Amino acid sequence: MEFSFYEFRYAPLSIQIAFIFIVVAITCTIIAYLSILRGRYKAYRHEKKLASLHPVIDNLLMEHILLNVELANDTPAEQVQLPVEVFRLPVFEHRWAREALIDRLIHYRNNVRGSMGEQLRNLYIQLNLDKDSLKKMKSHKWDKKVQALAELTNMNMSIADVTILPLTNSNNRELRAAARHAYIKLSKNEPFKFFDVVTEPLLLWDQVELFKIISTTEHIAIPNFAQWITYSSNKTIVSFCLKLVVHYNQLSAVHAVIKLLDTKDHYLRGDAINCLGKLKIEDVQEKLIHMYNSQPLNCRLEVLKALGRISSGKHVGFLRQEFLHSTDFEVRKHAAKSLIKNAWAAKGLIQELIDTATLENKLILKHCMNPLIKF
Amino acid sequence: MESTSIWETLARIYENTVFVYGSVLLITYALLAIFSMISVRTYAKKDNFNQDITLLGSPLAPGITVLAPAFNEGMTIISNVRSLLTLNYPKFEIIIVNDGSTDNSLQQMIHEFDLIKVDFAYNAKIQTQPVRGIYKSTNQAYAKLMVIDKVNGKSKADASNAAINAAAYNYFVCTDVDCILDKNTLLELIKPVMQEENKKVIATGATLRIANSCEFDEGVMTRMRPPKELLARFQEVEYIRAFVLGKMGWSLLNCVPNVSGGLGLFDKEVAIRSGGYDHSSFGEDMELMTRMCRYSYDNKINYAIRYIPKTLCWTEAPVTVKVFNRQRTRWSRGLAQLMTAHFGMFMNPRYGRMGLIIFPYNFFFELLAPMIEFTGIIYYIVMTCLGLINWPTAIILLFFVYTYSVMITTLAILWDQLTFRYYKTWQEVVYLCMTPFMEFFLYHPLIVIFAMRGYFYFLTGKKSTWGNMQRRGFKTAAAK
Repeated sequence: MEFSFYEFRYAPLSIQIAFIFIVVAITCTIIAYLSILRGRYKAYRHEKKLASLHPVIDNLLMEHILLNVELANDTPAEQVQLPVEVFRLPVFEHRWAREALIDRLIHYRNNVRGSMGEQLRNLYIQLNLDKDSLKKMKSHKWDKKVQALAELTNMNMSIADVTILPLTNSNNRELRAAARHAYIKLSKNEPFKFFDVVTEPLLLWDQVELFKIISTTEHIAIPNFAQWITYSSNKTIVSFCLKLVVHYNQLSAVHAVIKLLDTKDHYLRGDAINCLGKLKIEDVQEKLIHMYNSQPLNCRLEVLKALGRISSGKHVGFLRQEFLHSTDFEVRKHAAKSLIKNAWAAKGLIQELIDTATLENKLILKHCMNPLIKF
Repeated sequence: MESTSIWETLARIYENTVFVYGSVLLITYALLAIFSMISVRTYAKKDNFNQDITLLGSPLAPGITVLAPAFNEGMTIISNVRSLLTLNYPKFEIIIVNDGSTDNSLQQMIHEFDLIKVDFAYNAKIQTQPVRGIYKSTNQAYAKLMVIDKVNGKSKADASNAAINAAAYNYFVCTDVDCILDKNTLLELIKPVMQEENKKVIATGATLRIANSCEFDEGVMTRMRPPKELLARFQEVEYIRAFVLGKMGWSLLNCVPNVSGGLGLFDKEVAIRSGGYDHSSFGEDMELMTRMCRYSYDNKINYAIRYIPKTLCWTEAPVTVKVFNRQRTRWSRGLAQLMTAHFGMFMNPRYGRMGLIIFPYNFFFELLAPMIEFTGIIYYIVMTCLGLINWPTAIILLFFVYTYSVMITTLAILWDQLTFRYYKTWQEVVYLCMTPFMEFFLYHPLIVIFAMRGYFYFLTGKKSTWGNMQRRGFKTAAAK
């Protein structure tokens, strides 16, 4: 079947379109196959090159840093000679090889401390690898910037506040998070200063990452989080600070947390009640019970949990009343749980409730008393 | 003479309608291919910087309940539960629902995991068949495990609802007890929830793949391979196209139509307020998703449904036409049910993208597609018999559709390969890449026939249940 250009030109429109699409489809399919092939081949080559380079890097690092007796004895790194020349191999003229070297240096630095870690940092500087990182920092691509921030942070290289602080409010989540981590790790004076300038909400993921950085960074000056609980207009910062207050058992912030009970935001109020319960602040119980009836369900449940955590034994009557008279299943369950936590002061009461309660309430009590059931 | 002209007019209308319909469908697929490429690449780029280990040791990680209904799964129940217990996450529980099994599934679990019946305050927020008992382990190693024994509800939906009622945490992951999950499934599924900036993520899904020829060791996938059986391999290709290209494309527009019943994470509160799974539905996963979206619109919740291109779940695919037929008939029947039950959302601006994009797409290109194809084939045959086919034109058009469908599937495989490189050898990739060439002739007609069968059952109200998959079990990794 011969199909000349002449025939194509005078064929119906649908056939013309079909023809064009056939050509496009076949071309795309062939390109897709070639891309798969190229992608796999490139990855294979890269893996192969790395597989031969990694042992070279590891041997050099082992020989000159990781198995160095002086460094092992914690002799200050500056007093130990670093044979930089042996690391200046021709292969490190390639960018991929320098990247691999930076990765290995970070890997080992994360696993050693003291002089050895310091010597790895010296090597990073003397091989001018920091310049590679700083060059990436100037890139327009966010992923390069994130990579640079991670490298500089891991190597404890200082970055000017004017460079990092604007990035802590970047529209790109990953860049924003990396900048915040870097700021906390690298800022010598006020690692939490960015809390003052954060306008974007701290996402739950950001909070998890920041929490890890804050709680695992050595020699970090922990501030009084009350300042942000009182003054920050960013609700997520306040909520995060409440978690940090609990983590550091920061009793000096209690006054600010109690003030937060008057906030209009009931989620934040719930967080504040949760914080007070976890800090076991006995004095606040009266206020919590006083406000209880005007609260939405999430705050009510937090009040009941707080009374259980504080376990002062002073409010078993209130818990009993909620357990017996509330129509909400969750309220009754949390009241029962808190009663059990106050058992030392309410033993007779619990037995009495078991004997007299309705079938469902009895089941709730047994549920809460069973150590196999956690929630 | 007059009657001939009426037939000619009707034929012309039909041909033009099909032409417009086909063109819109092909354009939609092309757009989906572009959107999915953006989505997948963005995901892969961002994923490099999100370290799972950060979440793994965090006290701030949200709790997740993993729920898995089981009906007569005695053959594999122990290894499947053990597999679920190995999941990597700091705060989770596993609820297995023994949905009135007639085999010894429950006894096996009681014996293997040191279970005892406990007085559990079960609050039936969603109505289900009665719960006979709830079991917890006395062995601290299995403290995360809970087993619910209930009266058979004749549906996975009823069993899932019982587990949702007993769930302790705010998010639940619904899976099938015979699915093999990646050990980082929970870490991956919760990430979109924690990283979303302006919306409430009500559900997250991930890619499912066929387990048939993969190797597993103690419930952990150790070697991924494309299935050897042709029918299963067709399904593998179809899953890649549906998840990596389809759902990732829709995810970019926040228009994901469905989170698969095999694996999905859901917001418990929204799921309960939407009424939970519908036990009368044959497509309970899609039905729940639709209701959750509807609830969100009705209550002005700025919601999002997210998808992950990473494969986190492997499931056994039917390898016989008989079982495959049963599965697809049920799916299409579920789709027809869903469209009828929620037709009020169709083109309804009140339901935003759900009403104006997802519903019309599902209606025209999922529900109607098999019917149009079926009538098209009949039309083709009639025209051939009447000698009214212009063969050169017909062949060109057929070839056009064929090359286009091969291209779309190949692009899906390309996105998957460029991002994840799941298969170890290039021979396996070639093996998979050859499959779309046969799909058009061998697999697609089956899909159309089974879908028509499902619609017929829906219209006639034929009784059927969620049935037995007749599993053959997974290949175990050879001992070294």
